[in-house]
Amino acid sequence: MRNTANDIPARRQAQQRADEIRVFLTELARLEAEGVLALEESQRQALATHHASLLANYAHAYDIDRDSRAKQLSLGMRIASFLGAMALAASVFFLFYQFWGRFSEAAQVAILITSALGSLGLTVWIQGRDATGYFTRLAALVAFACFVLNVSMIGQIFNITPSDKALLPWAAMAFLLAYACDLRLLLAAGIACVIAFVAARVGTWSGVYWLHAGERPENFFVVAALLLAIPRLAMHRHYPGFEAIYRVFGLLTALVPMLILGHWGQISYLDLDPKLIEGGYQVAGFAGSAVAIWIGTRREWPETVNTGITFFVLFLYTKFYDWWWEVMPKYLFFLVLGLTAVLILLLLKRLRGAVGRADRDSSA
Amino acid sequence: MIAWTRGRTLAAGAALILLTNAVALSGVFINRSGEPESRLMLSERELSLPYRGYRQAENSGLALTLTWRVLDADEEGSDYGSSNYGVQPTWLDAAHLATLGFETSAGNATQEARERLARQLPRQVLVVFENAGPAWRQAVERARAGAARQAAAAAANPGSEAFAKQARAGVERVALEENHYSRLFAIDAGLDAATLRSRYPDRSRYLILRGTIRPTLRRHDRQYHIGGYISGVAIDHINVPFALRPLLEPLRNAPQPLPDASTPRYEVQLTVGQRLEPWIETLTTPAAKP
Repeated sequence: MRNTANDIPARRQAQQRADEIRVFLTELARLEAEGVLALEESQRQALATHHASLLANYAHAYDIDRDSRAKQLSLGMRIASFLGAMALAASVFFLFYQFWGRFSEAAQVAILITSALGSLGLTVWIQGRDATGYFTRLAALVAFACFVLNVSMIGQIFNITPSDKALLPWAAMAFLLAYACDLRLLLAAGIACVIAFVAARVGTWSGVYWLHAGERPENFFVVAALLLAIPRLAMHRHYPGFEAIYRVFGLLTALVPMLILGHWGQISYLDLDPKLIEGGYQVAGFAGSAVAIWIGTRREWPETVNTGITFFVLFLYTKFYDWWWEVMPKYLFFLVLGLTAVLILLLLKRLRGAVGRADRDSSA
Repeated sequence: MIAWTRGRTLAAGAALILLTNAVALSGVFINRSGEPESRLMLSERELSLPYRGYRQAENSGLALTLTWRVLDADEEGSDYGSSNYGVQPTWLDAAHLATLGFETSAGNATQEARERLARQLPRQVLVVFENAGPAWRQAVERARAGAARQAAAAAANPGSEAFAKQARAGVERVALEENHYSRLFAIDAGLDAATLRSRYPDRSRYLILRGTIRPTLRRHDRQYHIGGYISGVAIDHINVPFALRPLLEPLRNAPQPLPDASTPRYEVQLTVGQRLEPWIETLTTPAAKP
């Protein structure tokens, strides 16, 4: 095998190295033009040969983008492969629905299992031949859709009681394909299944039927803690971007329920005055968003900072709406929102400056 | 991270697919093995064909919808003979809700207690359905009593078209209740199948299925009454086996029978297994009967 699944995460690292080489060469040319640095001809030759060799190897092994034009085209290909994968997955569903009634139960089960196994096999086969990863992504999403269809249709054919337990094999398949093929979309699908399953389980502890677990937003806090802990517990060095997805979903699973409970205290588990519950969750939401911004800035996690800022602004704007929408003229209300945005920008600028100074101090 | 080859991906994925299917199918086998939990003869009135529509055009499968009812605590309440989601049965009172795990001890005297009760989410329970039994006969009696009242009102107001129209509707309602509406009524709920079965031992009349109940409050005579309603039945669409499909296909595209049509177009033997999951065992149409 030319390309084991273990090599796949290196594609992103190879792409990152190629990007860094491009930036380095641009800066080198600028420094030479400004007379700050001048490489000797032999050094220049050695550098060019080394980079050319590296890029040729990467391009051969992974079909990376060697320049900015190729990178732009790659973005288009990523979008096309995402849309194509979604469309193909939908097509699989509708294809089965269109024809399944024409087959006996045994044939239906055989078709479902064969399609799940076949699409998985096809994904693995394509993965060995697709250096770009776009076609693998497409096939993997179809394989996941086939497995979801397999389990849900077995339930329909034999009138099986709907259960949250179905989410577990779906999550397992999504994680398997995500890690094997380096697919962030399927990682998100797997995380969504885990969120639904854990929230449903937490809900059933208090006797609630699992399909209604979402009506008590506190059911999501356990899984939020779990998701935020995963990047700390498991190393994702070979899977760039995966830790960020765990963190974003962890924050969403914590902050969205807080946002809801901050406005509808009566749906909380807490047997307290709804106004008190709402106030408590609003404070918790502000604090949680601020902590996310602070930790994200310290650890250089841009997605955590952005999620924190988004929710901080959401909490702030919803509070402004509660306080002033009815009593203020609209021009004044929106002026206050605009000025608040300016204030947040100034605060973030100061925070950025403080972090920069701390970095300089530590490096000195 | 573990070095992960494509072969391992294939092996792990295949094992996951096969194991998941094995677990699901073994559950089906367990459900259908041994003596069925119940076996009822139902008709088109209780197991209806899907409405024709665009959603059916792209779905070649066929499932019958379980049409069940409850006797409303309010005798004058509207009842259209279909599944009565949201209607509060007389038997589902505060004491009964407490046995199902709902918190009712705070009562309904204060606004706070009422809000606390209404905030409770649905719980999964076992619902007992009775086919063509006392509950259905009571519904027929209610319809007849209503028709008699409306006829008397029309007789007392000879020139009134409105009263005459209501009287005709009352007669039609009796015909619908006798010949067309579902005779399957939810009559009880509990948490233990064995206890419920000992209370309703006739397995050819009483069906036990999983469902959900939600507590609520009903205002009647300026007073709040604690009650509840069946918010769902876990399996209310029952797949028609491929072998039985030819009997229903001609009916699928035929117009729905008229309200006064007395003969159901098909009868279904519905069997419920060990795991309280139903399936259609036999299906007969009058034409197919010997």
